Amino acid sequence: MTSKDDWVDDLDPIQPADWDRARAKHLLNRAGFGGTPEDIDRLATLTPLEAVRRIIDYEKVENDLPAFEHSGVYDPTLKVFPPSRPATTRKAETTGEAIGVRVKPGGSRRMQPVVDRFFFWLRATALETRRVAGWWADRMVSTDRPLQEKMALFWHGHFATGADKVRDYRKMLVQLELFHQKGTGNFRELLIAVAQDPAMLVFLDAGQNVKGAPNENFGREVMELFTMGVGSYSEHDIREAARAFTGWTNDDLRFKLDEAKHDTGEKEFLGRRGNFDGVDVLNVILDQKVTANFIAGKIYRYFARDDLSPVLQERLGAVLRENDYELKPLLRTIFLSRDFYSEPSVGTRIKGPVDLIVSMCRELGVKRLPGVPDFNSACGELGQVLLNPPTVAGWAQGRSWITPGMLLARGNLARQMLLPDMINFVDPNLDPGPQIREVNNRILRGMSVTAATSEENPGTGMADDRAMANVLADKEDFNTRYGSLNGWREAVRKVKPSLRVPAQFSLSNLVLSAQPRTTTEVVDIMLARFLSMPLAENSRLALIGFLDNELGTSDIGRAETYMEEPLRLLVHLIMSTPEYQLA
Amino acid sequence: MPSPYSCDVARREVLRLGLYAGGLAALGVPMSVGGIARAAEAAASGRILVVVELSGANDGLNTVVPFRDDAYYRARPRLGIRTDKLRKIDDTFGFQSTMAGFERLYKDGSLAIVHGVGYDQPSFSHFSSMAYWHTGAPNSGSAYGWLGRLADGMDPLGTADYLVNIDSHQSLAVRARSHVPLVFDDPDKFLRTAAFEEESALRAVVASREVGNPTQRFLLEVANSAENAEPRLRQACAEYRTPVDYGLVHFGLDKVAALIAAGFPTRIYYVAFRNNAFDTHVQQADVHARLLTYTSDHIAAFLHDMDRIGRADDVGVMAFSEFGRRVAENANLGTDHGTAGPVFIAGKRVKGGHYGRMPSLVDLDDGNMRHTTDFRRVYATLIREWMNHADVNAVLGRDFETLGVFG
Repeated sequence: MTSKDDWVDDLDPIQPADWDRARAKHLLNRAGFGGTPEDIDRLATLTPLEAVRRIIDYEKVENDLPAFEHSGVYDPTLKVFPPSRPATTRKAETTGEAIGVRVKPGGSRRMQPVVDRFFFWLRATALETRRVAGWWADRMVSTDRPLQEKMALFWHGHFATGADKVRDYRKMLVQLELFHQKGTGNFRELLIAVAQDPAMLVFLDAGQNVKGAPNENFGREVMELFTMGVGSYSEHDIREAARAFTGWTNDDLRFKLDEAKHDTGEKEFLGRRGNFDGVDVLNVILDQKVTANFIAGKIYRYFARDDLSPVLQERLGAVLRENDYELKPLLRTIFLSRDFYSEPSVGTRIKGPVDLIVSMCRELGVKRLPGVPDFNSACGELGQVLLNPPTVAGWAQGRSWITPGMLLARGNLARQMLLPDMINFVDPNLDPGPQIREVNNRILRGMSVTAATSEENPGTGMADDRAMANVLADKEDFNTRYGSLNGWREAVRKVKPSLRVPAQFSLSNLVLSAQPRTTTEVVDIMLARFLSMPLAENSRLALIGFLDNELGTSDIGRAETYMEEPLRLLVHLIMSTPEYQLA
Repeated sequence: MPSPYSCDVARREVLRLGLYAGGLAALGVPMSVGGIARAAEAAASGRILVVVELSGANDGLNTVVPFRDDAYYRARPRLGIRTDKLRKIDDTFGFQSTMAGFERLYKDGSLAIVHGVGYDQPSFSHFSSMAYWHTGAPNSGSAYGWLGRLADGMDPLGTADYLVNIDSHQSLAVRARSHVPLVFDDPDKFLRTAAFEEESALRAVVASREVGNPTQRFLLEVANSAENAEPRLRQACAEYRTPVDYGLVHFGLDKVAALIAAGFPTRIYYVAFRNNAFDTHVQQADVHARLLTYTSDHIAAFLHDMDRIGRADDVGVMAFSEFGRRVAENANLGTDHGTAGPVFIAGKRVKGGHYGRMPSLVDLDDGNMRHTTDFRRVYATLIREWMNHADVNAVLGRDFETLGVFG
């Protein structure tokens, strides 16, 4: 590839004469999650304009993806779920009932069934959220519209909403559908829809934002993180915006305006006056030049590179403004620009954990997300739990994905993907942790709830403590630790199990289709397939030496009947290189 | 009443300066020539800061008990700790009976208690409040942590292993622009797993070599750091022998001691008590007492161990929690999320005693104490007084008055 430094900051489209396989691969890496050599060839034979259109105008591409299959853990008694366990038991105490379960009229632990129910939903929605994340990742692996998924992932990080606070996987699913449907449409529509999205409303405490006592959480974040960035508004603007959003709430999975709690008075916002409501405020925000620049800049950084000159940001913002916030013209400009193919843009982006796992699958030609290794656990170990971003600011991206331990963990993940250890695999969704497991085992052995849930191992704890715990337990209306166990038990009985199938692929077949004769040719085929940049010569030679040694020959014709395992080790080595972390 | 360190005020002031944390992170930490000279000075002093996070919101009132205050017993008829069950440290305050370690430190004059630490417009979410403490910049959404910015300011060249975080995941507190924190939990898991036959080839492909673009260079540095740290880290932890008893729960200070003894160049350690353990909503008396035993044993043991290996003068420990708990006990013999709480600073060079002012237990804000010391004053104290780093502004986005804890 002839990347040219003078293409930096050049938004002019690249010409057919400059289009080649390496650039097609770069486009597929960034606008999607990479692909097989065949996927790349298909783009490389088009003109750059056709290739970018195929990626962006994906509505024309057939895409038959399965809908999410609900386990059926939800019922309407869970619609108004109390904010905490104490709130649940307080409600049960005063009304005799909570979350669809009545307090026992007598007997021991009268509120235990209520508490069990509370913990059931906490666990069930958390497990179901992991299934939603797995379902989404499976879409990323199998889709023929990779940009749709890549943009959904962008918006999920931008409008970062955490399932742990929302506590309802259905709302997370609704929000995800929104990103899938409007993620490459119009930013104005998307912003308004997100502001009225039930998961977002819950996540940023919309319910507490009422006339007379506005909660500024959403008013602040909408400007600071979602549209303008810090420094373009005052604390006064935040308070006025919060007033305009008062009364915005949700009725289960729908947006609702609570008229009685909405402040209809005049507001002064970003220098304008009026009886603004929430949509008016969003429209004023969208009138700010800084908003278009902020969004365009963030999209550019996600797809192209971290360092963005103020001049280029201004020009990208102008593209967004001139198209009234339609996103596709901006995406087309970026993907076609010479800047996108300039040297600082290519092979410089660190793949995020989700990107890494999905692109591993796609490069291997795997059509479905494997059940082993477990997607959610693998991503979590690498620092990205889908549907649970660390803060409302999303993931820090870029270099922050990498620590020394994380780099080792990435190599270890590649090993699990290539050589899955089925013998030791245990479904992490069925593991409640040592504490609950211990209580479970004690109950199964026939111990009383009090004894089973006492903190210390019988006979090893401090006598005073145990005595104290027992005294309290005998008087209790419920036992939290027992409730936690019961919640787990009920949830794992109801939540659909995941199919624990490792990735199915044959590296021998992948390699043989290119008809290599020597181990050197095999190593070069694999390097071209999995890396976006050349590997240092001594590393390449080490890989060839390794393969020679494992096969006992450098003649592939001689080794083709037994080379699968050595090839998998070879790819593990390639995926353990620092270079493999880059796209 | 807005406090003098109101976050509103801070935010506005800093906006004027154009240095609010988000912008600060985006601009990179400004470093003057004088700053570099000062950083070099501090590096020469070799002082080590160890920050201990007590996650879950420690109940400060039942940690440092104001036993003279009737309001305490009125608010906590069942959870209040009677005077005969306390380790009184003076005429006003006493520790839980299980905190022998802290009592010893206090009597040695090595423990500073900063009362009523919090911030304005308190968040009651573990998650948000912890993010405020981690970034040192409430509500900023900053991508970097205060300790990351401190490391960047003190050591602009980004020395390897300057920051160590002992936990299963990297804390936002240590996220830095020019440092790669060493993050580990179980040193035996800080390990590349590979087949026996792969070993020599693996060494060849992950080792350093000529490089292309800056991101590739960064990755190779981290890869080298991982490859170099991996055996040293495991060796340091495996070989460390100490007669000191670190208590029942080893949440990481024993590993810090091992790395210090092994001569790691680390200046900032971040250690977290795991799993939101201090979130004692229910029947907290026993659990909380136990947690404080573990904490106080572990911290006191660490300082004792440092004394043993002759490094006590180089080490300062700060322990905090994201917020305190409500003044009144709840119906479940526990306590719910509150606001201000005590912060502990321990070490041989600490001037032991009380700092700040204990908040009133009567003049409450919706059942919660009003904080009397902004947490960033504690940070400023550690930055300027302990680490000798003058540019507090670059770390916290503005300056804060220090507390005079270190003499």
